[in-house]
Amino acid sequence: MVKVGIPRALLYYQYYPMWRTFFEGLGAEVIVSPPTTQATLAAGSSRVVADTCLPVKVFCGHVLALVDKCDYIFIPALRSVKSKIYNCSKFLGLPDMTRAVIPECPPILDIDIDINKGKRRLYREIYRLGRNLSWNPIKIRRAALAAWQAHREYKELMVNDGLTPPQAIARLGGAETPSNTPDRPAIALIGHPYLLYDELINHRLVHRLEQAGYRALTPEMLTPEQLETAITRLTGQPYWTYEEEVVGSGGHYLESGVEGAIGVIAFGCGPDSLMMDMVQRQAIRLKTTPFMSLTLEEHTAEAGVVTRLEAFLDMIQRKKRRGAEVCV
Amino acid sequence: MRIGVPHMGNLYIPLKALLERLELDFVIPPVNNQRTLSLGVRYSPEGMCIPFKLTLGNLIEAAELGADTLLMPAGSGICRLGYYAKTQEQVLHSLGYDAEIVSVGVSQRKLLGLLEVIKRLSNNAPWAKIISAFRFGLAKLNVLDTIERAVQKVRPVERVKGTANRLFARAITATEQADDYQSLKRVKTDCLEQLSQVERDESAEPLVVGIIGEFYVLLEPFSNMDVEKELGRLGVEVRRGLFTSEWTKFSLFLNPLGVNEKDRLHKAAMPYLKRDIGGEGWESVGEKVLHAKDYDGLVHLAPFTCMPEIVAQNIMPSTKENIPVLTILCDEQLGKPGMLTRLEAFVDLLKHHRRAKVKV
Repeated sequence: MVKVGIPRALLYYQYYPMWRTFFEGLGAEVIVSPPTTQATLAAGSSRVVADTCLPVKVFCGHVLALVDKCDYIFIPALRSVKSKIYNCSKFLGLPDMTRAVIPECPPILDIDIDINKGKRRLYREIYRLGRNLSWNPIKIRRAALAAWQAHREYKELMVNDGLTPPQAIARLGGAETPSNTPDRPAIALIGHPYLLYDELINHRLVHRLEQAGYRALTPEMLTPEQLETAITRLTGQPYWTYEEEVVGSGGHYLESGVEGAIGVIAFGCGPDSLMMDMVQRQAIRLKTTPFMSLTLEEHTAEAGVVTRLEAFLDMIQRKKRRGAEVCV
Repeated sequence: MRIGVPHMGNLYIPLKALLERLELDFVIPPVNNQRTLSLGVRYSPEGMCIPFKLTLGNLIEAAELGADTLLMPAGSGICRLGYYAKTQEQVLHSLGYDAEIVSVGVSQRKLLGLLEVIKRLSNNAPWAKIISAFRFGLAKLNVLDTIERAVQKVRPVERVKGTANRLFARAITATEQADDYQSLKRVKTDCLEQLSQVERDESAEPLVVGIIGEFYVLLEPFSNMDVEKELGRLGVEVRRGLFTSEWTKFSLFLNPLGVNEKDRLHKAAMPYLKRDIGGEGWESVGEKVLHAKDYDGLVHLAPFTCMPEIVAQNIMPSTKENIPVLTILCDEQLGKPGMLTRLEAFVDLLKHHRRAKVKV
């Protein structure tokens, strides 16, 4: 059986169920790299130039972990999923960059996703991708439709049950996941899923919030409509592909009455440097929800994250007791 | 309404000519200096790139001079540039300036985007007037770029170092002051004449170094610490593919006909980078592949945290076509002595290479 490797990084958190359904529909076995470890990060960092952002370093580490375990590695070049809204250069050049920095990589299955070039072009791209595994166009079509269905179910599951992507993936895999406890006070986490759910690079942020007696709300738990109205309110027209994860969820949560909001970005992230700034400005304007911005990189120390988180939670407690004005 | 524009190299000269001829009220902020940079750094989000910081500094300085309509390039599908205006407007508002930023869509519409904005700002001036003003602006741009090309050739071989730079500086002022085609032509012929008479070291065979990378840092000497002048001082002939006049020429007349100046570069980059990644990333890889044979080395300029150039920088070492590349990241932390040391070491390395080649 042909083995297709999927790195557990970057877009994995948004699209994994869809990708798995597609490749399994074509008779391939899907192999996901193990969760990030310090070694993954170190291996990835050693391949790319120092200025590359943390998530891409992690991604390279995951590709390295898959090198001799599969026949193909799937790396999409996701350019645009909405009209006239484009993605960061690092996503666009991801297949080419991986090929350049990891020459020993197995053949890369890449697909150009650009909705601006028309539906027909997109279907052709999907077909081109499928051709690597099957000669049968009908089979590819069936796999693609099933994949799309799986993706919608995945998204709905996260919105309806308030699950994070790793929880939803586990549930789709048949595991029992504890449902969220809605009676706890909520803290919103704002940021891209590859930062929020990679427990190594964010030093188990979600976990720590839960231990402190809070419930973490994340961008995936909001409906597209909620995200869209929040973006329109804050910046008008979205510009980046995943703007809703930052500006949309930030704009929404800041006015939703959560106890506090934490913006998580990676150091040197181009889009986030601007988007998180928008959210921060909004927080300053509103003065209703305490906001903390957390920048992650490979030198971020666990103790530093813990200290800042404790201080932030203490501040929220104090605010509650005194009804004091919000610090941002 | 008073219009303000940000800086990029000498671009303010043609812009000034254009706005003057249309009899619009405008201000040109001081050319980039330490204060511009400090203002920009102070009010920019932490991880932003140097073009954002410097243009923000320009806009603040323009607003200080009373500008309330600020022109900024924008567009979609490029890089962070498309998002600049949104954030910069918020910064200006939070500083208490009631200024509006007018986005000039230059990425897709190219120069037509600027034409449309100008038409609107000039209260629907007749097209004939706008086009004639535009032509004059373009003429100034062409003169400046022609002279700069000549200066690049003279710098490495002149006997008295700094002569070409002095002539160039004088030509810039003269171009700015010229107010009709005749005097503009005189400026050009005079300067080229003087440049050709500069005493040269005839025996010198200067190293040839290509300058590649991101548009803004390539064209704004303040942001790259005058890297071209410094290379010239070290006796290196600089080649740069990117000139604003080239860009305007193509975007006005040839791109609509389907001719793209960058096709050659894209084709060259194909084996290593198959798609446009925004900014100038694709072109940077293409330049390396294309010029590996005919240049001695390349200096790759990029703003710190520039997304497309980081991808390009990661891909470049893997190309079969091999040529030494020195990447210089530009931001407010770039120090001149450090950069000079790196340039000197790089030039030494290129000299060694050339000597070794000659021996073989």
